[in-house]
Amino acid sequence: MNLAIETKKLTKTYKTSSGMQSVVKDLDLEVEKGEIFGFLGPNGAGKTTTIKILLGIIDGTSGEANVLGRPAGDIESHKRLSYLPEKPYYYEHMTGLEITQFYASLFGIKDKELCVNLLNRVNLGNDYNRPISQYSKGMQQRVGLAQSLLNDPELLFLDEPTGGLDPIAHIEIRDLILKFRDEGRTVFISSHELSDVERICDRVAIINKGEMVHQGRLDDLLSGGRIEVTADGVPENLADKFKGDDMTLSLRAGRLIADLPDTMSPNEMIDAIRTSGGSVVSVIPRRKRLEDLFLESVSGDNLAKGRVTGKMTDDKKADTKEEEVSS
Amino acid sequence: MNVILSIAKTTIGEAIRRRVLLIILLIGVLFLVIAPGLSVLSARSSYTVLVSFTLGVIQLTSAVIAIVLTVYLLPNEVERRTIYTILSKPVYRWQFLLGKYLGAVGALGLMMALMTGILVLVFKIMQAEAGMDVVMTLARAPMMYFVQMSLLAAVAMFFSTFASPIVNFFLTGGVYLVGTLFSPVFQDIAGNNSVNAMVKTAATVIHTLVPNFAQFNVQNTIINSGSQLRSEQMYYLQMVAYAIAYVAVFLIGGMMIFDRKEV
Ligand SMILES: Nc1ncnc2c1ncn2[C@@H]1O[C@H](COP(=O)(O)OP(=O)(O)OP(=O)(O)O)[C@@H](O)[C@H]1O
Ligand SMILES: [Mg+2]
Repeated sequence: MNLAIETKKLTKTYKTSSGMQSVVKDLDLEVEKGEIFGFLGPNGAGKTTTIKILLGIIDGTSGEANVLGRPAGDIESHKRLSYLPEKPYYYEHMTGLEITQFYASLFGIKDKELCVNLLNRVNLGNDYNRPISQYSKGMQQRVGLAQSLLNDPELLFLDEPTGGLDPIAHIEIRDLILKFRDEGRTVFISSHELSDVERICDRVAIINKGEMVHQGRLDDLLSGGRIEVTADGVPENLADKFKGDDMTLSLRAGRLIADLPDTMSPNEMIDAIRTSGGSVVSVIPRRKRLEDLFLESVSGDNLAKGRVTGKMTDDKKADTKEEEVSS
Repeated sequence: MNVILSIAKTTIGEAIRRRVLLIILLIGVLFLVIAPGLSVLSARSSYTVLVSFTLGVIQLTSAVIAIVLTVYLLPNEVERRTIYTILSKPVYRWQFLLGKYLGAVGALGLMMALMTGILVLVFKIMQAEAGMDVVMTLARAPMMYFVQMSLLAAVAMFFSTFASPIVNFFLTGGVYLVGTLFSPVFQDIAGNNSVNAMVKTAATVIHTLVPNFAQFNVQNTIINSGSQLRSEQMYYLQMVAYAIAYVAVFLIGGMMIFDRKEV
């Protein structure tokens, strides 16, 4: 398979005052080349830690991590990838252009024009000669994106790229990321901005307390939506005609409320209602939202509580099993 | 090489804007400027007093700058996460550490050059009749101090790969004090055959581990100048070689620790 990122049973354990704490646990990630991959999880789930391992900034405790076909942290592969950390910060005395040139020099690139072009591309054309200390959050984030494009990377790691930005900046950055995919790059985004992820990602992984809860195509993960049909003046015998195991029906005093899977067309039912003299009140599709999946994935936990102790991890296992049975 | 120099350059740019360092530098410069006024109060030969006072000011100021500057270099990078963007580029950790160190030495050099320039200026104004060459001999001591402080910065860099800035401040300060005040003593014991073998070994170990900072304090030969100009150049060269060797040891040690460190 053509994988940009692959981890096998990746685990990171920290020694803390409360004992050993597994921040990433047996993580099996598979990111295909050329896709936008969303890496989701609540605060403290281990997203940033995983990215740091993939970049070789820290080492995993056990398991395997390969990036662009080489072990994580390999300097050769660093020529082909780039990283935008969450809440990036730059040397404040430098201008946007100087900072970009500084990062360029780390690749051995001396091309000033390239830096200017990239800054133009992220809409900093008018501001790149001002010191970073005068930049807004959104402008700093865009400097970050410009520096992340210097080496024409095959793979981009973006940690919370839209965190703390206003809606306009959100859209701008989202569009840039979509363009990255059109240019054939693989984009790995860590985020909890679910609406952004839902719009742009091809595949996602949801982790909670360091453990994988879901991984797959967004379309597959969000399948299983329902359609609710409501009608009045429906004769009693109609209900029997449609009773099936994947459908819930209630019919009382002529009012029918049917809830069917979105894989089934409601046409047949609507036709039957109308020929029997009933009238359709509403047909409401209830598509599964990423938010639902996310909440379901991390349910039963105190979301604000990112800490994982040995005991809680065991509890978590039980949770996941239950979810698998019920879904 | 390019990578190391780029990192060094940005480090210098940042260091010479650090407010704490500028304040320390300003205090040093103030003392240099008012020194002539102070020395009038002294009864002894005012020239000798003035020389040792001003050189002492430069040395102390530089030592404080060297330590305060270097202990924060790595922790600041981690705290502001700038290190993550740098290490995600094709940059080896040893290159990063070396670049930071060279940047510290560069910034230190600039600040010490400024103080030395002011020193020379003050003396030139004080003794208008003295030739420039006489005044310039004064600048030799700060040059040796620069070598000394570069070594001190390497010690601080080494400790900063595992110690917090505050701990590092005391560790490096301690090494400097021991290396300045006690090095001659340890050297003496190590070379003395009449002392207990264990004490002798201990003295040798300390004398080898802790750089001999005292030997860079050349102000006395400058104050009593004219006596041994011949061997002086040789001595200076030896000092530089000694410093480079120790800097290399501390930096390589630091790189080995930093390479495995979780940042
Ligand atoms: N050096 C460390 N020592 C101990 N625990 C750590 C260390 N670094 C991170 N952690 C813990 O690891 C957990 C995961 O942190 P991480 O930053 O990876 O989360 P995240 O998913 O990126 O969260 P967020 O959405 O808030 O950015 C947290 O509980 C954090 O406290
Ligand atoms: Mg994070």
